[in-house]
Amino acid sequence: MAVTLTPAPAAATAVTAARTMAGMKLAVLRHSMSGQKAGLVATGGTLGLVLAGGTLFAAFQSGDLLAAAYAVWMLGWILGPVFSGGGDETLRPEYFTLLGLPPRRLAVGLLVGAFVGVAPAISLLALTGLAVSGVRRGPAAVLVALPATLLQLAVFVLLSRVAVAALGIALRSRVGAIGTGLVNGVILAALGQGWVFVIALGQAGGITPEASAVLRYLPSGWGLAAVEAAGAGNWGRAGLVLGATAVLVALLLATWAALLTRRVGAARASARSRRPMTASTASGAVVAKELRAWSRDLVRTHQLTFSVAYGVFFAAAPLVLGIDAMLPWAGPIFIVMAAAMTAGLYAVDGTALWLTLTVPGAADVRGRQRAWLLVVGPVAAALALACTAVTGGPWPMVLALTAALLGGGAGIVPLMSVYALVPGTDPHRRGGNPLRVSEDDGALTGMAYAVLALVALTGAPAAVAVALYGWAGVAVGVATGVLCWWGFGLLAQRRLHARGPELLQTMRTGKRPAAGPGSRGNGGGFDELPKRERIIVGVCMTIAAIPLFPQGVVPALIKINDGGTRSWFLALHLPEVFQWPVIAMMILLGLGAYGTGAWIFYRHRRR
Amino acid sequence: MTPALEITGLSKTFGEKIAVDHVDLTVPQGSFYGLVGQNGAGKTTTLSMAVGLLRPDGGSARIFGADVWSDPSRALSMVGVLPDGLAMPERLTGREVLTYLGLLRGLPKAVVAERAEELLSVLELDVAEKTLVIEYSTGMRKKIGLATALLHAPRLLVLDEPFEAVDPVSAATIKTILRGFVAGGGSIVLSSHVMALVEQLCDHVGVIDGGRVAAAGTLEQVRGGRSLEDTFVGLVGSAGTGTKELSWLSR
Repeated sequence: MAVTLTPAPAAATAVTAARTMAGMKLAVLRHSMSGQKAGLVATGGTLGLVLAGGTLFAAFQSGDLLAAAYAVWMLGWILGPVFSGGGDETLRPEYFTLLGLPPRRLAVGLLVGAFVGVAPAISLLALTGLAVSGVRRGPAAVLVALPATLLQLAVFVLLSRVAVAALGIALRSRVGAIGTGLVNGVILAALGQGWVFVIALGQAGGITPEASAVLRYLPSGWGLAAVEAAGAGNWGRAGLVLGATAVLVALLLATWAALLTRRVGAARASARSRRPMTASTASGAVVAKELRAWSRDLVRTHQLTFSVAYGVFFAAAPLVLGIDAMLPWAGPIFIVMAAAMTAGLYAVDGTALWLTLTVPGAADVRGRQRAWLLVVGPVAAALALACTAVTGGPWPMVLALTAALLGGGAGIVPLMSVYALVPGTDPHRRGGNPLRVSEDDGALTGMAYAVLALVALTGAPAAVAVALYGWAGVAVGVATGVLCWWGFGLLAQRRLHARGPELLQTMRTGKRPAAGPGSRGNGGGFDELPKRERIIVGVCMTIAAIPLFPQGVVPALIKINDGGTRSWFLALHLPEVFQWPVIAMMILLGLGAYGTGAWIFYRHRRR
Repeated sequence: MTPALEITGLSKTFGEKIAVDHVDLTVPQGSFYGLVGQNGAGKTTTLSMAVGLLRPDGGSARIFGADVWSDPSRALSMVGVLPDGLAMPERLTGREVLTYLGLLRGLPKAVVAERAEELLSVLELDVAEKTLVIEYSTGMRKKIGLATALLHAPRLLVLDEPFEAVDPVSAATIKTILRGFVAGGGSIVLSSHVMALVEQLCDHVGVIDGGRVAAAGTLEQVRGGRSLEDTFVGLVGSAGTGTKELSWLSR
């Protein structure tokens, strides 16, 4: 075939490429803004607006507070994608490989595309705090605030992209997977235990001059530093800082471009020698398969090390304040986090489910439960025993919870995984971003939270029993653990047998099958809600209890009774004047979450 | 004699689209049955429903008389399936996949080991002993899929596009295996849109178009005196569709 192609418009300029990609992103966003997705974006957007409002409020208060707020925004940009399936992947570098764009131009185009969206818009709003800060300092500062705002936003967006790209490359080696798992776990635990550091800061007498300087040396503080310098009339310094920010943006862009060229193929498993399968039964074969997936899939290695790091650091953080009461909880926290991370037990295998369907009667769920326990159990037991030994107790509570939560996790994870299946992308079709295991990453994240809450709930009977009867509660923990493992496993197995073809179809198409002649309503109403609403309702209903009872009602009772303990009750660690407002806010938050869940539920029922 | 596979009135609708519209097909025992049709004609949907991977809206499928949906354990124990484009246990090596599946099907360990060894060597997958399935090429994926379909010595094979993306040498190996399977009394249904391949291998043909059976029977009955390709284009091609050229490609 003698075809001579005219030189294609390969010389597409950077401007054209960028404009095309921005247009493409807008088009995709517009098409995906249907019903439920729009609702989710609206929810996220509202939350973001509240945070941006808080940041603007900080801008009116003090420079130090604003710098701290921006540091948190930066952390959010870097870490957010790690916990929500690899971040915004609307435009993927893979789409453009055949165009032969030079890496830098590709990166510029993708960067422009990355600025189109809800998150950048909200961050931009938060960054107008720089202008607010400028107004307080004079016209010159306002003038500097404008470029500073844009450069700062570019820094945020680019840091996020570079972090995701670097993580993607780290996850190609075992050491990298373990390392990032540790770092991410520690950082997220630090955010979860933020109050510890706030109080430590309070004990040190507010933001110290050293901390204030550090906050401005962080890339998140450069914009503010420029504005403050201009406000103080120090033009040279302002220019220098702005220039440095521009250089940082260029450097990050170059790094990202370089990383993009290395983003090829999916995460590789290690090619070590293979030990032969020694199983000789059907259930044993499932266990052997699952254990191999655990050890060979670096994403799973990452999840596991993340959970360990999170559990240990979350429990150990209060040691900063000299409180060791939380340390024994490392084991139970690890179990709950590991369950949440593995919430997509069936989703990660994608359409490989067909093999299970062709062998009716295969004890797939039981095998997966055993494998889950074999992976999570020993680590959990070691953490629980070691950490409790350090503090010398409370043994009954830790032992009861470890047993109850292990059983609960082994039951809830497969149950949720088949009942609220979020279709995963087949492992061999995943893109270059190893964190992206589903096209519906929002739903997968929601499910992780739902599993987190549900597994935590399975520990409740044991906790109550220990509180009331001491050591006898351990027996209750073991009993509920076994019951959850057995009962939920049975339910999951039945569901898999009864609805297997529908589950496979969901995996295949990435969509839930429309309610047709083959599907029966489960009568409960909850099942008939659209998936996102179901997850939102589920999360609201399960999470609501935390602010309402342990952070609201219980500290209120302690305060009324003038009890001395402060434990992990946030309100009781604050200065006296804030205690009642915080308790009231926590109770309102809990009631609000219950209300939101109920409202969504009934609104959909009425239709 | 009970047909190896009997499909009666199978239907499936996805949303507005009628994918399969009351399809009836009978695959006699010992036949090599080719299912042909354009992309999107409903071949994969029909075969998925016939082996229990997709629930039909209506109709039934029987494998050697056993209903796939009411008596799945008996029906599915007699069939080996190779679906198109579905995942495998990706983090296992080829041998491990076969060991896992064999044990899952309740075969004794020694039998599994022996059959896995033989399948891997015949399909030339034993050279990649340490390679995980996720690292396999498309052709290798087809071959390990075929091995899983053959592992439990089924009497019927249902293969969806078994030759797609398979290199000529491997294709020859697969053809030899399949012919041997039929010669030994087995029955095969395969889907394809390569007419020459179907003419070369099959003795029965079913033509699917727009979710309906356009023609079915022995190869000779369906194609008459013409080639299968001409018959096929005559059956499914709309009248007056001349081949259009792309003006900007020729000079």
